[in-house]
Amino acid sequence: MNHTLQMNIQKVEGAIIRLLGLIERRGFCVTAMNAHSDDAAQQVQITVDLHCGSRSVETLTRQIEKLYDVRSVACLTASEPAVVMKESVAC
Amino acid sequence: MSEKGAELAVRALERQGVEYVFGYPGGAIMPVYDALLNSPIKHILARHEQGAALAADAYARVTGRPAVCIATSGPGATNLVTGIANAFMDSVPLVIITGQVPTVVMGTDAFQEVDVFGITMPIVKHSFIVRRAEDIPGTIARAFQIAAEGRPGPVLVDLPKDISNAVPDAAPIFEMQRDRRDSPDPEQLAAARALIANAKRPVLYGGGGIPMAGAVDAFRAYARASGIPVVTTLKGIGSVPTRDENFLGMLGMHGNRAANLAIQESDLLICVGARFDDRATGRLDGFAPKARVVHMDADASEIGKLRHADAGLLGDLFESLAAMPTGLDIAPWQEWCAARKAEHAWRYDAPGDYIYVPHMLRRLTESAPDLTIACDVGQHQMWVAQHCHFDRPEQHLTSAGLGTMGYGIPAGIGACLARPGARVVTVSGDGSVMMNIQELATIRRYGLDLKILLVDNSSLGMVRQWQELFHQERYSEVDLSDNPDFVEVARSFGIPGFRITRRDEVEDAIHRLLHTEGPLLAHVCIDPKSNVWPLVPPGQSNDVMMEELSA
Repeated sequence: MNHTLQMNIQKVEGAIIRLLGLIERRGFCVTAMNAHSDDAAQQVQITVDLHCGSRSVETLTRQIEKLYDVRSVACLTASEPAVVMKESVAC
Repeated sequence: MSEKGAELAVRALERQGVEYVFGYPGGAIMPVYDALLNSPIKHILARHEQGAALAADAYARVTGRPAVCIATSGPGATNLVTGIANAFMDSVPLVIITGQVPTVVMGTDAFQEVDVFGITMPIVKHSFIVRRAEDIPGTIARAFQIAAEGRPGPVLVDLPKDISNAVPDAAPIFEMQRDRRDSPDPEQLAAARALIANAKRPVLYGGGGIPMAGAVDAFRAYARASGIPVVTTLKGIGSVPTRDENFLGMLGMHGNRAANLAIQESDLLICVGARFDDRATGRLDGFAPKARVVHMDADASEIGKLRHADAGLLGDLFESLAAMPTGLDIAPWQEWCAARKAEHAWRYDAPGDYIYVPHMLRRLTESAPDLTIACDVGQHQMWVAQHCHFDRPEQHLTSAGLGTMGYGIPAGIGACLARPGARVVTVSGDGSVMMNIQELATIRRYGLDLKILLVDNSSLGMVRQWQELFHQERYSEVDLSDNPDFVEVARSFGIPGFRITRRDEVEDAIHRLLHTEGPLLAHVCIDPKSNVWPLVPPGQSNDVMMEELSA
């Protein structure tokens, strides 16, 4: 499943790497991205194209929203049916 | 005279009402240690930064307020990492202050430079590098606010040495912000009320979010008023008293059979501050297969993360619990659960002469219901969760999410300082205890009345158990029979100790632990082949519980 997320984050130290790190750590692959810094507003607009296997982009969106430096996040692609994890593969 | 950055940092901590900080000094953090000399804040010197972080973690769990740990740059900061991860996984409010090399040499591989801001990014709720001295008070105030609000967690403040030595050009701002709480959505509240009112077999599934939100009383009140049977996660233990008639036990891999059976039979799970962790659910698609779900949590990203929520109540647990219906028609279900509870009650009539640890632990908390137990990680941790009685969650300190061996002694230290005069026992194992054994020096240094019950099976018991059950008895690196003499080790730190090896010595040992002034170590030698039962094998659903294999 491919998705596009559009985010507006504060222009502070570590904000971009924190955002991208979270996306990859939660199991999503970034296939394209565009970032634009607005110095006057002290913010950065980031658009990211993602590919994911069985993870929910809604959950990812809420995880991104929790980041302290994130002002807004919007998923520009259609939502998907709820993902049911089929089995526990934890050790 | 204008204050330096380090003095502003210490004043900012004072303004937060900080009584203790846990730490270890070093080069880049020296300005802060200098400023601490002029502060009423008491510094607790651990003997390893990990010990400082884990002690602060337990202090925060017991007090319910953010705790502070401090270390220098480089190895001081990296030694904190396990403690920070522990707090992150268990949602514990910590403020971590690390010294950093001066800003002019940051990024040049300077002596004791490490990018702790980068290293810790996945395991903090948030983090800051302070670049201007005047920002220090505001940054620390924000760190406390972020650590405590919503779902708590650790917040790191990295403080370069030139900034902590600088006198700010502009006036520093000591800002304080108000706690922000989310309220549950009215439509979701209505949906949850309808689900509960129509349920025939509801179960309250309580987690660590209950004590973290200070909602223990609200949870108890609802459980009592509704009569809904209660199971808890490892971190939720004590959210209702473990002696409560509606309490079925801990669920999950080493849970009580009655608790797991009730979950599997339920038609509605009311998840309160829990997160469907794999140790609790087992195979996820086999977990509570007949149940719909009401999920209450302070963290929106937990609702629906692993299990679809038919009603998701974000925010304040008080508000959500207070709005849930009582007067339910569930008497047959209550009777069914009570019968399962009686049928699967723990038994303590184990054959043999070895000390039976579950019985010893049960007797310990029967003898002292007010006891706080700080656990290490492994078999003894599960035995504590299964067999000890607790009236409150703060009495049970355990590293749940991360499973940090070495938590027990530092956690006991934190608990002793958080609640002076409280009776605190660290229950540890011979593997775990060696991971932070140096903190015996901290117990001695501050004259803490911490008792240590060291359960010794001369092996890495939980790993050994899994190798026995799931690796065809191919034992790999689990033999610890070359352990030191733990009584002598304690004695060399100035802590008296004694050893028991037989069942008939247990009662006297418990009496000595509970009635001796000052620290004391009881070294309890047990059967090296002891296992924790029951057990849900990895990848199985919770109705597949292995019981003790016949000898």
